[in-house]
Amino acid sequence: MGAFTSEKVQHGEIVLEARGITKRYPGLIANDHVDFEIRAGEIHAILGENGAGKTTLMSILFGLVRPDEGEIYVFGKKVNFRSPLDAIELGIGMVHQTRKLVSAHTVLENILLGHPKTGLVLDFKKAAEEVARLCDHYEYKLNLNDKVWHLSEGEKQMVEILKAMYRGARILILDEPTSSLAPPETKKLLETIQIMTRDELAIVPFITHKLPVVLSVSQRVTVLRRGKVVARLNTREATEQLLAREMVGRDVMFDLKRVEVERGKPVLEVQHLSVYDEKGTKAVRDVSFSVHEGEIFGIAGVSGNGQQPLAEALAGLRKAAEGKVLLDGRDITRLPALARWKRGVGYIPSEQRTVGSIGDFSLVENVLMSYFYDDEFCKRGIVDTKKIRARTEALIAEYGIAAPHADMYAKNLSGGNLQKLILARVFSRQPRLIIANLPTQGLDVGATEFVQNKLLEAKKAGAAILLISEDLDEVLALSDRIAPMYEGEFMDVLPGGEAERDIVGGLMAGIKQKAAEQ
Amino acid sequence: MNIAGYKIKLEKKAGFSGLEAAVISIIAVLVALFLVGFIFLQAGVDPAKGYAEIFSYAFLNSFGVPLTLNRAIFLLLCTFAFILPLRAGLWNIGMAGQLYGGALAAFGVAYAFGARTQTEVPAGIVLPLMILAAIAGGGLIGFIPGLLKGKFNTNEIVVTMMLNFIAFWVTAHMIKEGGPFMGSGGEGEGYKLPASLQPGLFLGMPFTIWFALGLAALLQFVFAKTRIGYEIRAFGASPAAARYAGVDPFKISLLVFVAGGAIAGLAGYHYFATVPGLFKIPKNYGDFGDLAFYGIICGLISQGSPLASIPLAILFGGLTSGGRFVQGKLQLGFGIDYAMLGVLMIILVAFQFFFRYKIVFKKEKEA
Repeated sequence: MGAFTSEKVQHGEIVLEARGITKRYPGLIANDHVDFEIRAGEIHAILGENGAGKTTLMSILFGLVRPDEGEIYVFGKKVNFRSPLDAIELGIGMVHQTRKLVSAHTVLENILLGHPKTGLVLDFKKAAEEVARLCDHYEYKLNLNDKVWHLSEGEKQMVEILKAMYRGARILILDEPTSSLAPPETKKLLETIQIMTRDELAIVPFITHKLPVVLSVSQRVTVLRRGKVVARLNTREATEQLLAREMVGRDVMFDLKRVEVERGKPVLEVQHLSVYDEKGTKAVRDVSFSVHEGEIFGIAGVSGNGQQPLAEALAGLRKAAEGKVLLDGRDITRLPALARWKRGVGYIPSEQRTVGSIGDFSLVENVLMSYFYDDEFCKRGIVDTKKIRARTEALIAEYGIAAPHADMYAKNLSGGNLQKLILARVFSRQPRLIIANLPTQGLDVGATEFVQNKLLEAKKAGAAILLISEDLDEVLALSDRIAPMYEGEFMDVLPGGEAERDIVGGLMAGIKQKAAEQ
Repeated sequence: MNIAGYKIKLEKKAGFSGLEAAVISIIAVLVALFLVGFIFLQAGVDPAKGYAEIFSYAFLNSFGVPLTLNRAIFLLLCTFAFILPLRAGLWNIGMAGQLYGGALAAFGVAYAFGARTQTEVPAGIVLPLMILAAIAGGGLIGFIPGLLKGKFNTNEIVVTMMLNFIAFWVTAHMIKEGGPFMGSGGEGEGYKLPASLQPGLFLGMPFTIWFALGLAALLQFVFAKTRIGYEIRAFGASPAAARYAGVDPFKISLLVFVAGGAIAGLAGYHYFATVPGLFKIPKNYGDFGDLAFYGIICGLISQGSPLASIPLAILFGGLTSGGRFVQGKLQLGFGIDYAMLGVLMIILVAFQFFFRYKIVFKKEKEA
């Protein structure tokens, strides 16, 4: 029952149509009379910032959430999904952003898991042949007997896509398909989904901020803002500027003005540093580098290549197995986190909700996270509540954090506002060294722009900045020097201004020889 | 769910105020008392009469009130011993063991001054030393889980629980035949403190009430206003975030368990050395061991608030003293005090649901 063998649909025929979809939650309208349709053989991107209503729409189309109003038609028939099973039955497949695979099982086992045809006895041989045919058909090489934990992120995603296809999906919903993929893998994925459209499959990627992806593969794009459809375009007519303006509701600067700052003396010096991760594997291997005053040193890499343990080791949250860390020439390798904060290290963690903030604390008490050790705000061990409240309110105003008052719980802030709060808190200590670990991850276009500009401001003010990012464009745009990181090592250190996208992208994926040839 | 044209839905609450929590707790107590009424009925007693007896004895009777207060002080100290680690996200199940530790240390000091055999001991020196020893003894037992948690991230629930048994058997050894603290009666009880080491009562209450009330105020202040209180709460709310902000997990674990153990040690001193008629370590340790566990319930219901624990401890103390009284008076064939605490506990825990959710009634829309 592979998709390419079932009933034929005409190219361009409408396969899924949504009319007047409305979903209200207390205090907000997540989807406000959303209309759109998807045609066979097209890639139709849905674009929108966080909170624009993408997730709700996606959940409605997949039967996870029922709309308050509106109708959905699949292959011309009106449907009423009670659960995702109804949606799957009608040929809708969904690939979530967080992988839902059993990592200790093989590719084939994962594809078969939950398939209606697998009864009590599995016919592995037949199934393997069918899946292999599916792979061949879409020109994707995958060893079906590999355990899933061996696979790269891109391959895992492909397993999920194949799983949906094998269950007969003809309309594929992809949630943020290119996040956490290295550039070569992104390219491969986009090629594969383009091949899929030849079979009159309809593909609907939901995307927050990777606008180039939208422009390069989709035929049409629908932009959501605050629950409403604000633009419906043929991609041919769209530009990055135009899409961003529709998404955010105002003009967005794409060309970050790289400020040229005189490079000062080294602030952070790392010598032959090795760090183990929690599984006991050496995640950072013999890394040496330095970051100077007024410099942004970018580490580009796909998550899981040792950036996290490296950042934690520098922030004093993880032991260094070997090597030395110097701050302003003084050895801080063995200092705990608090002593490093006091000496001017500012760490912006990648986990905003679980590490960077305390959800059940008020904004005031969250700001206190960077002030409780300061005698000016904590005289003789007693917190100066007035002072810290005043500081919090000043930061909320200065950073434009959308918060009704300083006593609200941090967990009720949106992702962008929470990141602003964390940034405000850390930057207000005027750190000598800023370690920014995936500072724009998951943020929408507007908040991303804000964070990047704040990093540039800090650079201008003379801070040394270590920027860790998965987003190659971001690293290229901001960094003075770039180190692509792969499997715990720096593949190279390149000057930021001249680094070529392809070379850095290749190095991020561990491809070394090309760079060596050039 | 739909009932009579109304749609009933559960909605998650964003938070709750102190007043809301108090109202919910009071309703829970009333519901629990209502349910216990059926136990009375089943025993052939009019519930109204049963409750009238319990409450009048516990809160109005001149014999009952001191008993209620004694238990409330004990319970309050145990509650604080539990709350302090709880606010740091750690579970102290070892109040029983810590209070044995405190009691043994206090009686050890008295023993060293010859209190077992002599009647004349310098009370002005020995009494304060006994209190300090109780604090140190409880703190020492608390030091063990604190150290293990901080250094090796050992499960503190298991360690404190096991220490209860160890402290229990050490105590048993000390007061049983042949043990140095053996009483003269040879009934497996500790020696009786001489009259000079029995502190007088103040308005019918042992002086330890000031410790309990003072600690309530102190802890309330520490949690709300101080740096260390902030560190403890931050660590309790999110260990990873607290560590990130520079809070030392080792310091916090050690501190809350040593301080919690010290307070439980004080509870041991209160129970064995200041309550009239009990100036010794009795053999019947099961009783107060169980009562110490009600510190956990008290702490959970008060949501870790030291001030909110005071009325709870008085209520629980009153129910146990009044319950024991009616059991004798009305000749009930079962332990009504523990039955009542048990039901109360289950209902209060069940009512925690209303801290997180509210039930919404909506008129069904016409289709």
